[in-house]
Parts: sequence; C-alpha cells; structure tokens
Amino acid sequence: MKRKIYSTLCGVLAVGMLGGCGTAGTAANGESKEEAQSTVETSAEEKQEDASSESVETVTVWHDGDESIMQVIADEVNEELEAEHVQVVFEKKTGLTDQLQLYGNDAENGPDMYFYAHDSLGMFAEMGILAPITDFISAEEEKDLLPMTVEAGTYQDTQYLLPVYYETLLFIYNQDLWEGEVPSTTDDLYAYMESHTDTDAGTYAVVNQHSTAYNVAPFINGYGAYIIDKDGNPGLNTDQMIEAVTYNKQFAELMGDGDYDTCNTLFHEQKAAAIIGGPWLISGIKDAGINYGIKSLSDFTLPNGEAMAPYSGVQGIGVMKYAKENKQDAVASVLKAMCKENVGISLAKEASCAPANAKAYEDAEVAADDMIMAMRATAETAQPMPNIPQMSVMWGPAESMLASINKSGQDIKTVADNCQKAAKTAVADMQ
Amino acid sequence: MRNKKKAAVWLHSLPAMILIGAIIVFPILYTAYISLTNMNMFHWDNYELIGLDNYVRALFKVDTGFLTAILTTLLWTALNMIIQVVIAFFIALGLNAPGLKLKNLYKTLLMFPWAMPAYVSILLWKVGIYNTEFGLANKVLVALGFEKINYLSQNVPAFISCMVLNLWMALPFMIMMFDGAFQSIDKSYYESAKMDGAGFWMQLFHITVPSVKPIMAPAVIMTTFTTFKQFDIIYLLTQQKGALTGATLQTILTYAHQNAFVSNNYGLSSAVSMIIFVLIVIISLFLNRGLKEEV
Repeated sequence: MKRKIYSTLCGVLAVGMLGGCGTAGTAANGESKEEAQSTVETSAEEKQEDASSESVETVTVWHDGDESIMQVIADEVNEELEAEHVQVVFEKKTGLTDQLQLYGNDAENGPDMYFYAHDSLGMFAEMGILAPITDFISAEEEKDLLPMTVEAGTYQDTQYLLPVYYETLLFIYNQDLWEGEVPSTTDDLYAYMESHTDTDAGTYAVVNQHSTAYNVAPFINGYGAYIIDKDGNPGLNTDQMIEAVTYNKQFAELMGDGDYDTCNTLFHEQKAAAIIGGPWLISGIKDAGINYGIKSLSDFTLPNGEAMAPYSGVQGIGVMKYAKENKQDAVASVLKAMCKENVGISLAKEASCAPANAKAYEDAEVAADDMIMAMRATAETAQPMPNIPQMSVMWGPAESMLASINKSGQDIKTVADNCQKAAKTAVADMQ
Repeated sequence: MRNKKKAAVWLHSLPAMILIGAIIVFPILYTAYISLTNMNMFHWDNYELIGLDNYVRALFKVDTGFLTAILTTLLWTALNMIIQVVIAFFIALGLNAPGLKLKNLYKTLLMFPWAMPAYVSILLWKVGIYNTEFGLANKVLVALGFEKINYLSQNVPAFISCMVLNLWMALPFMIMMFDGAFQSIDKSYYESAKMDGAGFWMQLFHITVPSVKPIMAPAVIMTTFTTFKQFDIIYLLTQQKGALTGATLQTILTYAHQNAFVSNNYGLSSAVSMIIFVLIVIISLFLNRGLKEEV
C-alpha cells in the first residue's frame, strides 16, 4: 500500500513538473483570461462611476533611469493627454538592454515604448524591434528640437528615437580654490595646471578620468579624430587620434590616476580645484558644500583652433514595432506631448536636465541656471556618441589604449596600432 | 517482479531527473546548439547552423588572445593553490599548537575576509590598499620616503596584487578545513611517535600530512575550481568599465566576457562557453582520478 502511494506521488510530481513547462500558448491564454477578467471588472467599476467616460488607453514605457526624472515627464504628459484618455506609465527595468533583447518582439509581455540613452539605438534597430518615430510625428512637430539631439536619435537615415533631454561633460571648478579667471585655451589651462599641481602632496589643479574614452572625447573630437566612424571603421591609430591622445597624455600626467572615485573624492575633499565631469556629479558636489562654478567645454580652444567637443548622451523615447500596429494613435499622442517645451522646462527646473527642446531655454528660470545654460552652449560643439552597434565593442580597445598610454607609459604609436587591430577583431567578431 | 522493481526505481528518480534535465542538461545542450549557429545581433531571428566555425574562430586565431588567457588562468590557478595550501597548512598548524591562548578569537577574526561579500572586499582593497592617492600601500611607501606606485597598471604587479587579494579572501576557508582535519587526527599517533624519538618534522611528514590528505582533497578540489573560475577579482580590480588600470591581464572568463558577451555574438560566446565547460570537465576528471588513487 505504502509503495503504491509512494509511486503515485512520484508520478504526480513528475507530471506536475512537466505541466509547469506548458507551452507559451496555454500560459498566455491563462494570462489573457485573467486580464480579460480584470478589464471586465475595471470597466464594470468605471461604468458604475461614470457611464459616459471612455476607457483610458495605457501606454507602457520601460526605462532604466532615475525614477524621479521619469515622474516629471509622466506628470507633464499625462496632464496634457487627460482629455484624449491616454495615460503613459513608466516601469523601471534594470538591465533594460537585456530585457528588450528578450521581450522586444513580444507584444504580450513587452512594453509599448522604451526610454533610454541613444547609444544603444543601432543595436535595437538592427534587431528589428523598433518602429521609426517619423511614422507617428511630423518634422514640423520636431522643429524646436536641437539638431544634435535629433541626429543622435537617427540611425542609418531613419529616426527611431525622440530626444527628450541630454547630458554632456562640463568643466566644474571650485570658486574658492581657483585663482583668477578660468582660461579659455587648453594651453593656458595646462600652464595653470603645471603651476598649481603637486602630485607628491596629492593636490591637483584639474582632475579628469583621463583614461576613459568618454572623458577624453572632448580632445579626440576636437582634433577631428573618431573612435569609430559611421560605417563601423575603428579609428584608433589615425594621425588625428595620435595627436589627440598625445596631447591628452600631458594633461593626464598632472591628474592622478584618473579613476572615477579618485577624481570625485579629490574634488570633494578640495584637493582638486576643478573636475571635468557630467551633470550627475552636481548633487554630490553640493552635498560636499563646495562653492562651484561651471564653464562649458566648448569655451576652451585647442591648439588647432577648434573648440573642445565632448560626446553627448541623449535620453529619448522609442516605439516598439508591434505598438505601431496596436496603439498607433495613443503612441503618436504621447510622442507629440513629449516633445513640447513644457516637458523640457519642467525637466530643467525639477530635475536639472538639459532639455532637447530649444525653446525651453527661453524660460526665465531655466535661462538663469548656469549648469543648464552651459550644457546648452556645449550642445553647439558636442557630438552624439556613435549609436551604431559596433560602438559597444569599441569602449574596450579605446580605453585599453588610453590606459596603456597614460598609466603604463607604453609607446603611443605601437599601442594605437595594437588597439586598432584588437578593435577590428572585436568588430569582426560581432558578425 | 524484477521488471516491476526496475520500473519503480525509474519512477522514483523521475522527478529528480526531470528537474536536473530542465535546469542543468537542457541549458548545456541549448548552448551547444547555439554555438553551432551564427546567432548574433545581425542575425537575431534568422540565424542558421554554420558548423564548427565559431570553435575554429575561438581556438585557432592566434591574435585573439584566447590561448594566452588559458595559460594565464592555469598559472593563476596553480600559483594560488600552492601558496594557499602551504600557508593555510602552517597557519592551521599554529592554531593547533598546544597551549595557544585566545584560539577561538583568532579563528573568528580569520573568518572575516571569507564572510565578507566578495564585491565589497575587492572594491575596499582597490581604494583602500592599491589606490595611488588614498591606498594604504602607497601611504606606507610615501611615509618611508619612496615614490608612489601604481600597483595595477602593469601586468606583473597587477597579477601579484590580484593574487594577494585572492589569498586574503580564500585563505580562511582553507585554514578552517585544515584546522578541522588536524583535530580529527588521533593524538595517540603523536605520543607513540614521540616515544619512538620522532621530531617535529618527522611527525609532520609521517603523521600529519598523510592523515589530512583524504580529508583535504575535496576542499582543495573545490577551491581549485573557484580559483580557476575567478572573475570578480581581476575584473573589478583592473578592468571595470570606465576604470581600466592599464594592465592587460585576461583569464579565460574575463576574456570570454570581454570578447564574446560584450559583442552580443551569441554563437561565438556559446562556443567559448562550451570550450570552458569541456576544460572544466577534463580538469575535474583528472582531479577525481587523483582523488581515487589517494583514497
């Protein structure tokens, strides 16, 4: 008897386990039944509450950013779209890239739109999960957007991303430590650094993550060099690149080890008078009680007469392909609401973000914000980070080149040639 | 009757087999399948079988650095294991010295590095010990009148720095294992050895070492695998994104991460994963055979 019960239990357990591996169809059906039930319940409640009101169409947006920033956008957009009965809901998904790789083609479980930095745009476009923005919104409606941000959202001549705000590097200095005016040429800046840096004592004039490609980009782009071009060709050993990294090396020698934490701590502890960093550093600097000033990197001229040109990271919103079929009108309304200047003004005021809408900067309160206006000025020379998929494998070789030159003191030309070779292999390995 | 019994045996082990099949065997087989395809970002939905191309690419392209990474990994594992076992042996021996006071306090303190989350210890060492501005190692050097050193910028110092940290993190486990093994040795062996006139070294090599061997073998094998698979220390100390230190050390796991997973080439990365899998199986067979011979 015991044995029979035991065997039956084992059988049931085994069948139960296999049952758990039911097909997606059954699972989805089960879900859709539940969903249908809940929709029925909601609509019944709504009918009770207000018989005349139409049901609200929800547009789900996945993001991996700061929830308070998304709240600012959601509040503005939802207010605007109240009359149209469209509601946008932001859902935070950590590791958004992986999530979209899994759910980007899954209308049942994926989002309608996604909000993310522009540099992974090419990858999503190549995977074929995105619908062009221009299917929902006209050029006329986008006319107020800064050209640099629209360029960032465009991949192979098709715009897939509606830019909302952007980030770029700034020159942030401690007004109590900096002596005199901040120079306007990089040569004068270097002269200042030479006379105000004592590496043994651990005090620095300027610190920068000198071996991080993003932070060296102001030099690289300023010299007309590129990490990778639009066609996916690495440019780590071009003459311009050699010139740029050689020039950067002399700065690196006066900047400590250039690690993110080291740079920040030196600036917070007032052992560095200036730091090259993004707007994300500001809250920490404020907390450290530093009387800071800001200058746009575009206001520094390189020895070749060009302005420094940092990379910009543009945050924007894209539409999943299936949402075009299911929710064309609602998505179009969300996009139109999102590119209006009031979203930009609120982002600037409440979240200290530099809006993509140029008109937002005409607001008096926004115009009085030094940091936002410095980013606006930088937008003139800033270049969007390359958004082609190949860029994702370029950070490794580019940074390995910079670290080998600045930290291990290897020969620049040899390192550049080796890293160019590694970069080419890495790009080829993607195929 | 016999057949019935056989069926019952299979039925009883069926649930466990399904579970193992689903969570262990299936992923391995699926990875093997993907390694034979050209699945990557450019062939996301329309990938096809391409034979052994990915394996050829991973193994035979001389400039890919895969072979160097394998050699570095073997050197890393061998050096770490030898030093670990020797140091742990003598520390545990010290802990078992007759008449040692506050023994339990020392044991508790020694457990700390092992009990701490690896991520925290590694970043603490990176900033607290090796950092050029704030690190203890450099503060001591400067106080003694030497110049600052960037410990992580060249391959050899970086390898040694990583190894020191790995030893710090892994020694407690080994010490505890040796400690337990020593306590299981019958004290009467030593007494009779003493009566026969055996000295410290004689006792050590003829009683202690042979007695702890069978007990230590599983611990050594387990640690060998964790050392072989070590990723966190080398990655976080030298090649965290945006904080490269200039060293170009690669073990097979950091290599696989950098060259295969960053590129979103699932075919190639699966091939690399399968090679690592086969290597680990070979090493485990080798070690298991050694173990059987000893026992």
